[in-house]
Amino acid sequence: MTIATSTELICFLVLGAVVVLGSLGVVLLGNIVYSAFLLGGVFMAVAGLYLLLNASFVAAAQVLVYVGAVNVLILFAIMLVNKREDLKPIEGLPIRRLLSGGVCAGLFVLFFRVVITTPWAVPGPAAIGVGATERIGEHLFTDYLLPFELASVLLLMAMIGAIVLARRDVLEVDVGTGDAVNQGLIEKARTPLLVDKSTP
Amino acid sequence: MPEMGVFLLATQAMAAPGELLNLALNAGAIAPEGAVLVAMLATLLVDLAGEQAAARWVPPICYAGLGTALVLLAQQWNAPLEPSFLGAFLADNLAIAFRAVVALSTLLSLLISWRYAEQSGAPIGEYAAILLAATLGAMLLCGSTDLVSVFVSLETLSVASYLLAGYMKRDARSSEAALKYLLVGSAAAAVFLYGASLLYGLSGTTSLQAIGIALLTSPTPLAALSLVFVLATVAFKIAAVPFHQWTPDVYEGSPTPVVAFLSVGSKAAGFALALRLLVGCFGAFDTQWKLLFTVLAVLSMTLGNVVALAQTSMKRMLAYSSIGQAGFVMIGLVCGTEDGFAAMVLYMAAYLFMNLGAFACIILFSIRTGSDRISDYAGLYQKDPLITLGLSLCLLSLGGIPPMLGFFGKIYLFFAGWADHQYLLVVVGLVTSVVSIYYYISVIKMMVVKEPKEASDVVKSYPSIQWSTIGMPPLRIALVGCVVVTAVGGILSNPLFQWANSAVAGTPLLQEAIALGSQRSIG
Repeated sequence: MTIATSTELICFLVLGAVVVLGSLGVVLLGNIVYSAFLLGGVFMAVAGLYLLLNASFVAAAQVLVYVGAVNVLILFAIMLVNKREDLKPIEGLPIRRLLSGGVCAGLFVLFFRVVITTPWAVPGPAAIGVGATERIGEHLFTDYLLPFELASVLLLMAMIGAIVLARRDVLEVDVGTGDAVNQGLIEKARTPLLVDKSTP
Repeated sequence: MPEMGVFLLATQAMAAPGELLNLALNAGAIAPEGAVLVAMLATLLVDLAGEQAAARWVPPICYAGLGTALVLLAQQWNAPLEPSFLGAFLADNLAIAFRAVVALSTLLSLLISWRYAEQSGAPIGEYAAILLAATLGAMLLCGSTDLVSVFVSLETLSVASYLLAGYMKRDARSSEAALKYLLVGSAAAAVFLYGASLLYGLSGTTSLQAIGIALLTSPTPLAALSLVFVLATVAFKIAAVPFHQWTPDVYEGSPTPVVAFLSVGSKAAGFALALRLLVGCFGAFDTQWKLLFTVLAVLSMTLGNVVALAQTSMKRMLAYSSIGQAGFVMIGLVCGTEDGFAAMVLYMAAYLFMNLGAFACIILFSIRTGSDRISDYAGLYQKDPLITLGLSLCLLSLGGIPPMLGFFGKIYLFFAGWADHQYLLVVVGLVTSVVSIYYYISVIKMMVVKEPKEASDVVKSYPSIQWSTIGMPPLRIALVGCVVVTAVGGILSNPLFQWANSAVAGTPLLQEAIALGSQRSIG
């Protein structure tokens, strides 16, 4: 084993441990702020894994998008909703936790087994390193042109939708007739889910 | 894998992209989507001029865009097939048929939604724009032949659907519906991405055709796992039991015109995706996915139709009935014969008209009375014969009573299933059809049989019928159009049969699967 491979192995083990422990912390910790910061750590460690794979552009994009945008957004959302509220305790929580833990463990065993029994084509294609940025750009404007352009429509629509949902003003008058808005359409009492006693 | 080199699609993903610049883009294949996109942008621009201008100009712009899209789709019918966007999109007849169903369902949903949106104080410019974006995503999903474009168009459809579900901001149930849909939908998208990344890892390409070939040569447990993941997403999109839990709540909370679109347009796109992914990509796992879909179909038909019996809200009843209807369509998918695929296409088209006709009626009723409880429909025939007649015909058609359009669609599905020896599915389908007829007829009985003195309070204080208000004429056109097609389409269904058959005949993907299936049954 050369120094290069052993360094790589050590880096991989450290990053892998950070990812696994960090994600466990995100899920299991009670305080949501800790979870959010740990999530940032997990994203950074994943970026490190990309670097190990010699994909520096993807690593940079990971840091910019996930740590810089998504994680900061999550933290902002947590800070803005700064209300401590005691939620109603959920019935049978330990049993539910046990059940979901069992399901997750089962899934993990299944994946583990499948991954070790699959004949992987290792080593895969060699990484192109710094040429990756150029290659990604070429792909975006050739065979991935359609999804690339469609993503712009998706972003435009998401932006408009976010504004519609977030803005306060709702129309008070019916644009067509000029009457007041009909509350009958929207403010209905919640009907019982299955059987309604009042029906004959 | 050297044998893949002969396939153009496979080489594209592996070749240096620089060489791809010389290949033709064939962007004309997405001209219909272009028309929808132009309509969406024009809608947004007009909306800048204020709500009054939007109420005046947005409807004609949407009609023009969707009408142009439908005409362009008709022109593509049976055109020579060439993969466009270097293998990201294929406008075969299957894609054209499903895109037409999606575009038509949007057109009809828009026709029935103007009055509803205005009366509830929702801004209609953005509403139309988001609905058109959802249409764009759904239409592209029907023809996508590449995992990346499948995912991006799926997300466009889904994100737009979440936004539409939460469009009634003043209604807490609408926000709840949007949140539930968002959470479950995001989980489904994540599962799809995981499955797609496994497929890419196995085959080294994102083209569905090339993945299909790679899976044929190396069917591994990992491929079966990715099949399960991908299948879960498809089942979520078409709301098959047990991936249906979101459906009743989302359908009940969302604005009714949105439910009309979700139950037809979104579902049609889901079935097109199922055909592309399962038939086109998982040919090597034919037996496995057919078995899984048999289970899903039996569960969907049983649970959807049985739980619909107990509903008191019209929207919730139609939600469960749509789960059951999706179960019927799955029979065609499981068959995998020429008749099976054609019956799927035919039933989707029939379902478009009968379901949207039913939704037009319940929207009209809720605009006039503000109620969607089934018991409030009691004695309606005295006050509003049009709703009574339209809703009765559409519900009878959904139940499969001859001579409606739904009867011929259903009989074709059952015939195809029986011919392919799917006896279990056909028997379950027949039994649950009878169950569904019971709850459809009980609504009709509520409307027609009750004496005037037994009529509900809502019907007793029924407002006088006016059609002159802005937004009402389009609603009437959509209602009458859907009801006429549902009623007369059954008698004149021959063109529809031919259309469905030529949709299957003009799709190489399905023809290959049919040829493979018949070889297997002979051998």
